[in-house]
Amino acid sequence: MLRVLLVNDTDKPIAELREALLALGYDVLPETAGRSAGLLMAVQRQQPDVVILDVDSPSRDMLEQLAMLSRQAPKPVVMFASDGDDRLIRDALGAGVAAYVVDGLAPARLAPILRVAMARFEQQSHVRQKLDDLEQQLRDRKDIDRAKGVLMDKRAMNEAEAYAALRQQAMRQGLRLADVARRIIAMADLLG
Amino acid sequence: MMTPLRTLDIGFMPLVDSAPLIAAARLGLDRANGLRLRLHRQASWAAIRDRLLSGELDAVHAMAAMVYGVQTGIGGPRADLAILMGLNCNGQAITLSPALADACSGDRPLADVLRALPRRPVFAQTFPTGTHAVWLYYWLAAQGVDPNHGIDVVTLPPPQMPDAMARGELDGFCAGEPWGAQAEAMGAGRRVIRSGQLWPGHPEKVLACRRETAALQPELALALTKTVLEACRWLDDPAHHPDVVAWLSEPDAIGVPAACIAACLHPSEDERPGEGLRFHAGGDANFPWLSDGRGFLRQFRRWGWLPAAPAKDDDWLRDVHRLQTYREAARALGVAVPVRDERESVLFDGVRWD
Repeated sequence: MLRVLLVNDTDKPIAELREALLALGYDVLPETAGRSAGLLMAVQRQQPDVVILDVDSPSRDMLEQLAMLSRQAPKPVVMFASDGDDRLIRDALGAGVAAYVVDGLAPARLAPILRVAMARFEQQSHVRQKLDDLEQQLRDRKDIDRAKGVLMDKRAMNEAEAYAALRQQAMRQGLRLADVARRIIAMADLLG
Repeated sequence: MMTPLRTLDIGFMPLVDSAPLIAAARLGLDRANGLRLRLHRQASWAAIRDRLLSGELDAVHAMAAMVYGVQTGIGGPRADLAILMGLNCNGQAITLSPALADACSGDRPLADVLRALPRRPVFAQTFPTGTHAVWLYYWLAAQGVDPNHGIDVVTLPPPQMPDAMARGELDGFCAGEPWGAQAEAMGAGRRVIRSGQLWPGHPEKVLACRRETAALQPELALALTKTVLEACRWLDDPAHHPDVVAWLSEPDAIGVPAACIAACLHPSEDERPGEGLRFHAGGDANFPWLSDGRGFLRQFRRWGWLPAAPAKDDDWLRDVHRLQTYREAARALGVAVPVRDERESVLFDGVRWD
């Protein structure tokens, strides 16, 4: 069951969504005092699947911190804006935290909106994960090249020999090739 | 016939250092430059960023570090931004709980005091890539406390920090004034270092806009820079403080008692020249120093927010810092400009930033 956390810290009656969400079969987590310190603990302890809050909530910066810290488990955030914030909707959809901004508070529209937000969020996390993986691969490749250079330089090996030496070391120590490379680079830095 | 005024929507956070924007509109400096500034108070830095990126706001009151965070896409959307000028220097503080402040007042190093706490220490800042996070991390690390391990660092809206500290939820926080002063007044905390002592004359809030605005509408960027630079110069004259205090204390600006705001504008007794809040400082507070940008990026990498990168930063930093527009605005107003785009700063621990 989808676990939803409602943040009620502005004039907008976010808490009124509670009944509608329960009727839709969602698990609505106990409300926090609306203060950011309490909210932070609520998010960390209760691990909601979606956080719903007002676009003008002062707690938004706190959620930014969560998005930055927990890249592996960021939270999709659904934001409510007043009518006519079309540009904000478009922007929010492109933002790093999956966000879907809704005009007004029509409970009947909640279910499809939450579904879209979740789907979009999953897609974004997936893209981000792929990007992280690619960056990691690039860094690995660079370090392996550098380590090969160190071996060629200090041990008078040719490139193929240097690569073979790296692989052999990795297998012997049960390490990834890039990790062995990084150790060699660190050692070379140390020894000059 | 008069040319119609160009309306600009400007976002600000309810903080003392939003004063240049509020003063610019109140004094009519905008109209004198062919502009009409419409100010919109925001509830979070995230809202300021999103509304700037979406085009709902044309320019914003932003933390200097935050601009580089958006430019490099740390923990959120990435977008090309521009810094037109600095709005102020100094004026922030690190506050510790009274017990912690007492324990540190002797010779005991902060790291030891924190280890002796019955629970994991909790420190607060105002935005993950904000200036307060940078000042807090720097200060902690200079005393041998690794901000990434053994302590929790959380983001909180500054008005909630004094209360959270009074409830025992926070051991320390870094924020702009009046929030450190407020914690002291409540007996909930003690300011142990002002940001102006940490880095005298440090950049704090800036006037930021989208890159396309700065690059494709240079006349508009120039008019806005002139408007706000003039307001900054006006603000540094203490004779004008009573007006500023009245404007800032209004409910749609900051909405805290006038006395509280007035206290933040006055230099405190323990501050030396160059350490207190200034909006102009002869232009030093407004020049968008290229070296300040490099300093922030070095800290981002130090804490692992940005991957280590080849030193190509200067190429794009020159696009973010609108030096030519600033120099032109300053010349028009007779404000002194430095010859170089960089400066050298010495921080409280003796480390040089350039």
